[in-house]
Amino acid sequence: MKRFLTQYRALLWQALQVEWSNSERWMSPLLFSTTMILLFAFAFGKVDVAFLPQLYIAATYLTASFSLQIAFSRVLEPDTQDRVFDQLRTYPISPSAWFLSKYTIVILLGALILLPTLFLSNLFLNNEGPVSLLNSSVLIVAVLMLLSLGAIGVLLSTMMLRSNAKQILYPLLYFPLTVPVLLSAVESSRMILVDGKDLSYLMSSWLGLLVIFGIMYFTLCLLLFGELVKPE
Amino acid sequence: MIDAKKQDRLTFGIGLAVLLFASFSWFYALRFAPSDEAQGEVYRIMYFHVPSAITAFLSSFILLFFSLWTLFKRSSVAASWSKACAEVGFMYTAITLITGSIWGRPTWGVWWEWDARLTTTLILALLYAGYLIFTNSMAPGPQRDRMAAALGLIIAIDIPIIYKSVEWWRTLHQPPSLLRSGGSTMDPEMRSILFLCMFAMFFLAGWLLWLRAINLQLQAKIEEQSHQAR
Amino acid sequence: MLDIKLLSFRYQFKTILSQLSFRAVTGEILHITGPNGSGKTTLMSLLAGLRKEAGGTIEYRLPSGKAAEDRRTYVEYLPAEANALFGKMDAMSNLRFWRKLRNLEASDASIRAVLKKWDLDHPLVRQNFPVESFSTGMKRRLALARLELSETPCWLLDEPLYGLDTKGIETFQLMLDEHLKKGGITIIVSHDITPLERFPLRRLDLLQEARA
Repeated sequence: MKRFLTQYRALLWQALQVEWSNSERWMSPLLFSTTMILLFAFAFGKVDVAFLPQLYIAATYLTASFSLQIAFSRVLEPDTQDRVFDQLRTYPISPSAWFLSKYTIVILLGALILLPTLFLSNLFLNNEGPVSLLNSSVLIVAVLMLLSLGAIGVLLSTMMLRSNAKQILYPLLYFPLTVPVLLSAVESSRMILVDGKDLSYLMSSWLGLLVIFGIMYFTLCLLLFGELVKPE
Repeated sequence: MIDAKKQDRLTFGIGLAVLLFASFSWFYALRFAPSDEAQGEVYRIMYFHVPSAITAFLSSFILLFFSLWTLFKRSSVAASWSKACAEVGFMYTAITLITGSIWGRPTWGVWWEWDARLTTTLILALLYAGYLIFTNSMAPGPQRDRMAAALGLIIAIDIPIIYKSVEWWRTLHQPPSLLRSGGSTMDPEMRSILFLCMFAMFFLAGWLLWLRAINLQLQAKIEEQSHQAR
Repeated sequence: MLDIKLLSFRYQFKTILSQLSFRAVTGEILHITGPNGSGKTTLMSLLAGLRKEAGGTIEYRLPSGKAAEDRRTYVEYLPAEANALFGKMDAMSNLRFWRKLRNLEASDASIRAVLKKWDLDHPLVRQNFPVESFSTGMKRRLALARLELSETPCWLLDEPLYGLDTKGIETFQLMLDEHLKKGGITIIVSHDITPLERFPLRRLDLLQEARA
């Protein structure tokens, strides 16, 4: 256990250092978010206030989903340089510590992208709307979405790295796999903001699905990660 | 060493039997099944559409099984079965989408409806396509087998969740299609013919799967021989 | 002692190593030779645990006489064409990171002692200076410093002298001498063996082994 914690801390600290010294890595997904919000604003044009909440929620989550995908797909980029990833594989590292450190960094970076995206989208798209996504219940939904997406993001990233697959494959697999997450997040937020439902009501439907998805994929990815870094 | 000629005769014989059975079931469904009260003759595409759809979803369970086998047993044979399964599954999702669309036009009045089953089939088709691109982009070997198995596992487990979410999403947006036939309200004769067609389709899919898996293993063997002959 | 028995490896249907048996004895350098494509680097990555052997066994006997369980606990690998260093981090944090992964204490003093040997202990070099700005030789020296800090008994060195100057080679010889005296094992792939001639050297030619 002590060994696990030491390794987890070392891996996390290293990842934080690399991200800190290379702010482009979280800045560019955020800039991408801003660009998408801008494009959505152009595409929507003048919208009837009655339709605004629905469109606003959809556009926000779509933007977040796209930028998070970019951040996830790049999470192992620092490790590909100078064959660091292979060197790590020759070290006696606990695969769970390794996976958890990557998961933690993905969640931290994701929050750094997700929360500003919600804020920016509220500012630009929803400037006269009757509802606001900056609401504690919706923030919980958004964070749950991030937690569910993180695990599968790390695993797909590792898979792409180990298989030298083409870049385009990442979104091709990521988006269909995460359909339930996007649906849950959008529908939960809509029910909170438009229908005035609360979190406990949603737990038995959309939010429950989101949580089940998150727990299932977290466990599955934790187990599979070890398989992906083993010698072949 | 496999006796290739014997193997050929066996696959050919079984294939012929399966094809005959399938043709019989389709012929019977088209010629002798009773007409539907609401839809008339057009509903007969159901005898092709529903079995394909069930086969398509069943293929994801089989993929799950072979992926787990590949992961635990490190078997390259199971890996070739997984790939064959994704290929056959992809074909069946395509058939389901096409026949569903053709059926939808006269009954729902539109070529496409965001029906839970149809939508999940579309997502399954996309996932199978991704899986196949992924495996084809890698060099053969145990590493590819393991990666593909991990991906197959993720995809197969995701399908029920996707289905559930799309179903909820549908019921929230549009009322379920009234014209959707099937289920327990079905005429017993129609149901038994549907079961006949379903079995025929399972056999056909099973035969294709078997053929493709053998084919993939042979391909690997030939490649190995070429390397040794160099 | 590292005991390799009947090791086989195939890559994409191509047999690269077949039934290779050899021993690496403590206090001695095993020099692996062979033409391009004879499997030198493959053998190294097998021993490092990056690849899985198709057949055969690799066994390392601990001083207690027991066989070690996990290859990765006793091997430190130095690849040929890379140094496996994080370019955005400085020398100290790189070494500290790798040492912590092996669950070893990583005090500044112990790391600086080794950095001093490798001539990297200048305050403007060891800290706040990203490794990506290092010269080729400096990076190689830092990678060799990690090797020394790994405290593993079995070193796998693929072209370790690449980019080293005379002083670097001297430090390398000193380090190797110490390692061998402590009962360490060293397996080397190198085109230039002049700096190694002063050590007990044994050759293992992969081409001859394949023919035998």
